[in-house]
Amino acid sequence: MNKLVKLATATLIAGVTAGAAMAQELYTPNLSYRTGPFAATGIPLMNGQADYMTMLNERDGGIGGVPVNFEECETGYSTEKGVECYEKTKGAAIVTQPWSTGITLQVLPKTNVDQIPILAPGYGFSPMMDGKTFQWAFNMPSGYWDAADMIVQYLEGQGSLDGKKVAFLHLDHPYGKEPLPVLEAAAEAKGFELLPIPVGLNEMQNQASQWLQVRRERPDYVVMWGWGAMNAGAITEAVKTRFPMENFIGVWWAGHDADLRLVGEDGAGYKSISWSYPNQDAPAMKAVREYVTDKGMTKSNPEEMTGVFYGRGIVMSAILAEGISAAQAEYGTGEITASQLRWGLENIDFTQERIDELGLTGMVPPFATSCANHTGNSGGWMLEWDGEKFVKASDLLKPDTAGYADLVAAASGQYATENAPWEMNEACEG
Amino acid sequence: MLYRTAGQFKTSYKADQALFPVRQDAVLLAIILTFAWVIFPLTASEFAFQTLLIPIMIYALAAMGLNILTGYAGQLSLGTAAFMGVGAYACYKMITLMPWLNPVVAILLSGVFSAGIGVVFGIPSLRIKGFYLAIATLAAQFFLVWLFEKWSWLYNDNASGAIQVPNLEMFGTYIAGPQAASVTEYYVVLFVVSLLTLLCINLTRGTLGRTWKATRDMDIAAELIGINLMKSKLTAFAISSYIVGVAGALYVFMWKGAAEPNVFDIPLSFQVLFIAIIGGLGSILGNFLGAILIVGLPVILNLLPAAIGVQIDSAMVEHLNVMIIGSLIIFFLIVEPHGLAALWRLIREKLIIWPFPH
Repeated sequence: MNKLVKLATATLIAGVTAGAAMAQELYTPNLSYRTGPFAATGIPLMNGQADYMTMLNERDGGIGGVPVNFEECETGYSTEKGVECYEKTKGAAIVTQPWSTGITLQVLPKTNVDQIPILAPGYGFSPMMDGKTFQWAFNMPSGYWDAADMIVQYLEGQGSLDGKKVAFLHLDHPYGKEPLPVLEAAAEAKGFELLPIPVGLNEMQNQASQWLQVRRERPDYVVMWGWGAMNAGAITEAVKTRFPMENFIGVWWAGHDADLRLVGEDGAGYKSISWSYPNQDAPAMKAVREYVTDKGMTKSNPEEMTGVFYGRGIVMSAILAEGISAAQAEYGTGEITASQLRWGLENIDFTQERIDELGLTGMVPPFATSCANHTGNSGGWMLEWDGEKFVKASDLLKPDTAGYADLVAAASGQYATENAPWEMNEACEG
Repeated sequence: MLYRTAGQFKTSYKADQALFPVRQDAVLLAIILTFAWVIFPLTASEFAFQTLLIPIMIYALAAMGLNILTGYAGQLSLGTAAFMGVGAYACYKMITLMPWLNPVVAILLSGVFSAGIGVVFGIPSLRIKGFYLAIATLAAQFFLVWLFEKWSWLYNDNASGAIQVPNLEMFGTYIAGPQAASVTEYYVVLFVVSLLTLLCINLTRGTLGRTWKATRDMDIAAELIGINLMKSKLTAFAISSYIVGVAGALYVFMWKGAAEPNVFDIPLSFQVLFIAIIGGLGSILGNFLGAILIVGLPVILNLLPAAIGVQIDSAMVEHLNVMIIGSLIIFFLIVEPHGLAALWRLIREKLIIWPFPH
């Protein structure tokens, strides 16, 4: 009996994958997570991404006249489901958006063989910046190493770091460990003491012991690389232990409005570095409200739509759309292929004029990608929670990429050797 | 009718003790093997390999390992995922330290390490039983996952703390890593799984299997008739952990391609335990049936709405999926508490006497 089931499945799958490739559309699947332990942070991002694409479809009939099929494939943040979704969509997809560091690590070596660009805006493996080695992977507009560098810059702006103590509260997971090399190098160069405090996946909601350590060690600053339930846990613990909030800084994934709303006024002063800002007056946001929200085509709600994460979702889709239209212009065709999109993503030029033209004024800093630089290093703003919402607390900070260029080269070189034979993009210059 | 055993006379002890004394069973197995070895590899798509065929085989193997320990020897274990992890990390270290090593040999050797660790964590079983032993194996689960995170030598001091499978060659073709074709990976998995299944069937029929069963059914009685309980329990731990370790190595090297420590956390242990329980404790066939239900069915259910043209949100499908699989598990366990294998045994018995039930 079981063999019949298997055979039936095989035919079923063949039918499904064949059917998906037919219609004239740009198929850009999103490996979403609206279920599971990280759903609370995932949903606003997914909604923002989907709503921007819906807006383009409604307003302009898609990109370059070709409608976008922004189908979601649910992973629940599980790497096994992620692989399932990747295999399911890769036949017709022109891009894959893996949406978790774990899935990115798994999919990264495969995309080199399958030749599909990975778009991981602001997450994933930091050395993906090296476009020569990671020719199919993109993490614009900024990577984790940029974030670490910008946070150190900001702290230096508050006074010399020499002799200070900086606690690094992070998720004990590939994602949380990612910025360690840059922070360690900075600690040595600037003379501060770095104190890594890992938070295990099982301890995310109860960080009593970690914060006890913070109280004992009395660091001058706490830098946080948290995600999901860990952020809310850390912020409530910080309030409870009366850690001065203005000395508590998170990465962009630790700047979720809902986490801060839990503590409200008590959280005032908490900061988060961010390459996006939800500017409610930006024309793109107005267009989304007009074409999507008012027609009842969104899954979001008004409160969520003013948040940082929803706005970030909008920016992510705008970056992808810009890559698509760049490729369309270059190749003179509406329906682009995966490798044409790679060219497009390598040639995004988000100048201030272009950002204004797209209606994203004040939502994302200017940046440009190239064949050799897949990150763009846009820099970002320090956002501060004022008790009700996040506001910009600094001018645009730019990462000093020269400071860790050696690290990028070493890490990507090591990756290429470990995965030999690894195809490099020799055509790149610089 | 189809399953009529009348007329199949056994004239020698050897024939009576064959693996499949009923001819129809052997024919059925031959058909299944033909499908597994010839027809699936020829027809399956990349998607079917990566989400159905390969994972079902690997999970079935892991469940088989657990079944030796829990189903045959009666020692409850909640540390399966950790032992899979030991196999995976051992394999990774062997491959990176000795790149000349044949990958299949490395996978088969990696089980030796998990067997060793399994025996160490099995020692408490000599004194404690049942739920108390489950807690002791739970300790293995927590300790080993912690070790995978903290001992950076295990993942070659990689900054991300994850292990990545390199491209591995054997006889001029890639058999693991991103360059490997799915069909090659499938054949490697199938070869290892077939080999170990054959081993398990024969082990459980022989002296060792009977010793285990005696230990499971009543350990005091077993001791009284001269069975060495220490030997019986520790061999069960060793062989079970060996198989589980090989499954873990296959899990990372032939399927996932990369793994971070928390992959081997307790949810994986539970998943394997559920496969073993729903498939049927104390059975070999059950592991495969259980893996098809727990690993394969959700994938198929996910495809169903699109295939019949119903537009539902992916997140909604996922919610429905969890509900359907959950209710199916409850349904099967009510209909046949001894698992799917017992259900098949019942169907087969009915078929043999059909259409004359008396």
